[in-house]
Amino acid sequence: MNRKQDQLTTVQAAAFIINYMLGAGILTLPRTTVTAANTPDVWISIILSGLLVMLMGIILVTLCRRFPGKTVFQFTEEITGKWIAYVLGVIIILYFITISAFEIRVMADVTGLYLLEGTPVWAIVMVFMWVGFYLITGGVNSMARLYEIILPITLILFVLAIFLSSELFEINNLRPVLGEGIMPVVKGLKPTTLAYTGYEIMFVIMAFMKNPEKGKKAMVWGILIPMGIYFITLVMVIGSLSIEGMKTRTWPTLDLMRSFEIEGLVFERFESLLLVIWIMQIFSTFTITHYAASLGCSQLFKKKQLSWMIILLPFIYIIAMLPDNANDMFKLGDVVGNVSIYLFGVVPLLLLLLSIIRKKGGKHN
Amino acid sequence: MSRFRRQLTIGLSALLLVFTSGCWSSKEIEDLSVYVGVGLDVAEESKFEKSINEQGGHYPKNNNFTATVQIVPRIGPKQDTQKGAGASEGQSFLNERLTGDSLFQIFRQFALRRDRPLIGHHLKVIVVSHELSKKYSLEQLLDFILRDNDIRPSCLVLVSHGTAHEALSSIEPGEVPAFYLKGVVGNAYRSNKILPPVSLAKLDGKMQSGSSFLLQNVLTAEGEHKFSGAGIYKGETKKWIGSLNQIELEGLSWITGKAQQGAVKSYAAPKGHTVTYEIKSTKSKIIPLVQGNNISFHIKIDSEGQLMEDWSSPEIPSTDKYIRKLEVQFADTVKEQIQQVMNKMQRTYRVDVGGFGDELRIKYPKVWKKVKKDWDETFSHVPVTYDVKINIKDSGSSTD
Repeated sequence: MNRKQDQLTTVQAAAFIINYMLGAGILTLPRTTVTAANTPDVWISIILSGLLVMLMGIILVTLCRRFPGKTVFQFTEEITGKWIAYVLGVIIILYFITISAFEIRVMADVTGLYLLEGTPVWAIVMVFMWVGFYLITGGVNSMARLYEIILPITLILFVLAIFLSSELFEINNLRPVLGEGIMPVVKGLKPTTLAYTGYEIMFVIMAFMKNPEKGKKAMVWGILIPMGIYFITLVMVIGSLSIEGMKTRTWPTLDLMRSFEIEGLVFERFESLLLVIWIMQIFSTFTITHYAASLGCSQLFKKKQLSWMIILLPFIYIIAMLPDNANDMFKLGDVVGNVSIYLFGVVPLLLLLLSIIRKKGGKHN
Repeated sequence: MSRFRRQLTIGLSALLLVFTSGCWSSKEIEDLSVYVGVGLDVAEESKFEKSINEQGGHYPKNNNFTATVQIVPRIGPKQDTQKGAGASEGQSFLNERLTGDSLFQIFRQFALRRDRPLIGHHLKVIVVSHELSKKYSLEQLLDFILRDNDIRPSCLVLVSHGTAHEALSSIEPGEVPAFYLKGVVGNAYRSNKILPPVSLAKLDGKMQSGSSFLLQNVLTAEGEHKFSGAGIYKGETKKWIGSLNQIELEGLSWITGKAQQGAVKSYAAPKGHTVTYEIKSTKSKIIPLVQGNNISFHIKIDSEGQLMEDWSSPEIPSTDKYIRKLEVQFADTVKEQIQQVMNKMQRTYRVDVGGFGDELRIKYPKVWKKVKKDWDETFSHVPVTYDVKINIKDSGSSTD
């Protein structure tokens, strides 16, 4: 690794996490959570699961800190031995590939539905993948710089757009708080936890951080900001569409944007604004996972990363096109999410304990 | 190599231009028919359809309803025979009518009739005639509209007393009825006789929750429209079961606290002269009370406003005593209105459209869970008490 060129500041690392986390999920998050919990209390779940994920993230960072300058693909070997490390590495790579394929598929479906009706899917996807490929050949640093530009645009426009819907907001839709006790909140924890998948990228980018001792800080900020965004989204969507009204909507967040028109402003409709920033977010999620997968391949199987980037492209495309319909696609998303809970919630803890017991890696506290 | 690279770069970026410029499947707006209003009526085949059918232009369908599609700007030949009732020179819209049993199929049938395809991105108003919604549930009628990805959930839904086709017609030159209807809905802030706008997004929520709801009613006479009262839809069936008139709607607005603007007219003693109160603000609270198995409600209404009209002759000076007397007078009028609407809700139609269930759901979620299923019926036996307080803050620019 050419350490000089490929170094990330703490802010850039946080931007990596945030941009990875905010992706396809935000458009369906209100529906998936409310379907699970069946009460408007899911906004409590999103905060609780955010804190939970923060804990998992801190475990993950602590683990990475023991092996400075190494990614997960390199240091698991030291902890578990070669074979288990290989298996784990391959699983993680497959996970990254599937995520990037999933993001591409959701992007293609939504743009096909609301933005570019009539444009063939391959045309949309191909441009997307080429540009993404071009970006990741530049390495983490150029990626980080792009994400630093995307992030503030996303945050400002998103918050602006979603607050414009306030005329639809009815506080009664959010009441009663905890009307059915704490159980619905607990039931809402799982889908909300899935919304936070993305913190695992620290497994890879910790190795590139200029100040790895600030990894925890990057992790905490990287989770707090999406938490705020998710919270606002849930409150506004539930408050405006009511839980009954959005359970049947495929893309509730988008439908919220489509549910109002503001006359007299330059724009009357704001869903395209949301779609634009959202596509930028999908793009960053896609590029990050594609990059992480190709990096993993090159570190596991010793070949140039560039070649792996090219090799992975068709795989990602094929996986993206595998689901037959929207339901299959959402199922794929669920599977990936479930895998991520075990892979990045449980495994880091095991690895950390193992590395402490077997006294592998350095201590940094 | 470097030459090859350069050529490749140029070639690829030229290719990128094709893909990223976003004109892949663009259509010129001049070549599209934009529809801004949809009306749904009981089936009645037009002359054109009948004669087409005689010529064999028939496809298998049941005649369940007739859809009216309002297209702007007006295109096609001027002497079109398919114009709506009362069509006149200078009309800026075109009403197309077709009959069938699937809204989507009907929409696609227009492709056989018009040279420009329909696009639904700008649909503003859907009018459902009460006759039709007596027969079919709104969920069925609007299913396509809620699924379609062109049509925005911000589209408003109204119920018409006459046919929806009439409601979407106008004799005013240059006026587009769909825009007109949307505009009147926007007047809700000037009068408490207009329901707050019900968009598809809100309607979907109401239908899914299974509670009964209201839709703004629109009357049409001689090509002109008036908003009056509201259609009541039963939560279980989503079918039209009756309507509230203007006064009842006014009474309802007091209960729900939506009476932020509007007027209350009363006749004051001793000679019964007209006095009118202008509402400036209203606070209302529905307080659910649960004791054992008994549910009851208390409504507390507190309104502030001005005395805006006084026909007393000879003029009675606005002394404190007189004002207090009027306040009681107005409060009685409001109570009468509330009484009337409560009667309609609890006795005549046996539905809760005043948001009582919602308050119970919020305050007593456990009780609500038990009575939720049969709420409309339960509600019709629930005692409701109310007290109304009217505060006349001043009497306008005139002091006597």
